[in-house]
Parts: sequence; C-alpha cells; structure tokens
Amino acid sequence: MSNDAGMAHLDCYLDQVRRQLGGLAKAEVEEILAELRSHVLDKVEGAPTPQRVEAAIEALGGPREVARLNLTERVAATLETDRSALRVFSAVGRLARLSLYGFFAFLVSLFGYAASAGFLLTAIVKPFMPQHAGLWRIPTPDGSYDYSIGTTDAPQGYELLGWWIIPIGLAVGLILGWLTWRFGLFSVRRMRRTVQRGRA
Amino acid sequence: MAEAPTDELSKWEIQVRKGGLGLAVLAVLWPERLYGLEILRRLDAQAGLSIPEGTIYPLLSRMKAEGLVDSEWVEADAGHPRKYYRLTDPGRRRVREMAQSWRAFAGGLERLLAPMEGELR
Repeated sequence: MSNDAGMAHLDCYLDQVRRQLGGLAKAEVEEILAELRSHVLDKVEGAPTPQRVEAAIEALGGPREVARLNLTERVAATLETDRSALRVFSAVGRLARLSLYGFFAFLVSLFGYAASAGFLLTAIVKPFMPQHAGLWRIPTPDGSYDYSIGTTDAPQGYELLGWWIIPIGLAVGLILGWLTWRFGLFSVRRMRRTVQRGRA
Repeated sequence: MAEAPTDELSKWEIQVRKGGLGLAVLAVLWPERLYGLEILRRLDAQAGLSIPEGTIYPLLSRMKAEGLVDSEWVEADAGHPRKYYRLTDPGRRRVREMAQSWRAFAGGLERLLAPMEGELR
C-alpha cells in the first residue's frame, strides 16, 4: 500500500512535468518522462515508499524546473544541425512561455519577420501593382499621419518612395530578416545559458 | 555593494566545475556504458563532482544531439528499463582531445602554483 502511494506520487510528479513540456514532440516527451521515472526508481532501490520517492524527486528538481531544463536544451539542440530562419523562429516560439525574456524574444521575432516580409513582398509586388504598392503616408482625421508598407486603396495616401521601394524594400527586408534571425539565435542561446546557470 | 569574497570564490568554483563537467561526463563513459544515476554516482565518488541530478539528462541529451554519445534502453534486473549511454567514435575522439587540452592547461597551472606549495598544505 505504501509503495502504491509512492508510485502514485511519482506519477503525479511526471504528469506535472509533462504539462510543462508543451512544444516538444510526443515521442520526446515520453522519452524524458521514461528516463525520469527510471532515475527515481533507481534512487529508491526497489522500495518506492512516499518518503523515498519524495526525496528522489526533490533531488531531481521541481517539475517546472526539470521541464524547463529539458525543453530548453532539446529545443536549442535542434539548432545544432539546422539554423534556417523557420527553425530558429520555431525554437523561439517553443521557448516563449518559459520566461518573460522568452515571450519578449518571441514578440520581437514575430514583429521582425513580419516587417521583413512586408518590405520584401512590397518590393516584389511593386512592378505588378505600381499604383497600390509602396511605403504610404496617410493623413489621419486628427491632422497627423500614419505610415504603412504594402498595398493600399486609400485615395488620400501619398506614396513616398516610388520605384525606389524595389531596391530599398529588398535591402531593408533582407537586413531586417537577417537581424531577426541573429536575434533569435542569440535568444535561444541566452535562454539555454540562463537555465544552465540556474542549476549550476 | 561589494560581494563577500566567499561568494566570489563559490562563483569561481561553479565556473571551473561547469568548464570541466563535459569532459568529466565523457570521461566517465570511457570504459563502459552507464545509465544516468550511475554516471552521477561515479562523478561524485571518483571526482568529488556533485551536480544537481536534474541537469545530467539535458546534458546527455545535448551530447547525443552532437553525436558524442549514443543511448539504448535496456531491461534491467532492477525490474524497470534503464537508458544506457555509451561513447560513440566521435565521442571518443572528442574526449581524447579534451583530456589532452585539460592536461596541458592543468600542468601549466600546477607550475604556476608550485611556489605556493608550502601554503597549500
């Protein structure tokens, strides 16, 4: 009975870890949980009483902490072999909910790639929609101006760059995309270092 | 406010341990395959290297992603499966290179510390 209670405690702990591992493939999650289970069972040496299980769990770390360590490491490891923009953005997205910095990095990446795509698409579309695509200054009712990149039908809008939007849009779009990609790589490494430092 | 010297010392010790941890884990796998808890116990018993238990699996996972170690699940006599880790050929090459580099570094430091020998006993 005591051993059953110990195993129930272990299952409860593993469930809590599982809930924090969102963002990993199911097979990866199961692999991590199986290894943690094996570790605890080794520690209790055949007698999984609640006290021994609790001591083993305490030595491993809290569920959030253990999940954070594993998630960050595995997500960062995916960038060892593939550092494409899509992979880096996906990695930043998977780490977004782990910390305030993670969420900030995700927002910056989202904005950076959106702006980059906006400039690139406008430059590409300009030859086909010369009257509608560009960098626009649009007057607002309160007397100020809104600026937007892309296409617009607003009759009072003033297009600022003309055909220059093509080279400028391509250059700005590529530079913004590259900077966002570098920032994503930096952020994932920074988050990995932070969790490693926290458990050093 | 200046930090107490003991805090500075413990930070430095953590950095030194962190620097050597990768080598220590690979080195402990040199003679044979081991599972997670065995690795932790050997690091502690043979090198006095006590690390938080939760950190070993992410570290092994990274080493696996880098191709330095391989792993397999084995049904153990203990009644539950264990995941064993062993060095791959690139892992063996890496640990050899790291060990040579460590020896050279430690040897240089030892020479620098030689004049303090009497003070360190």
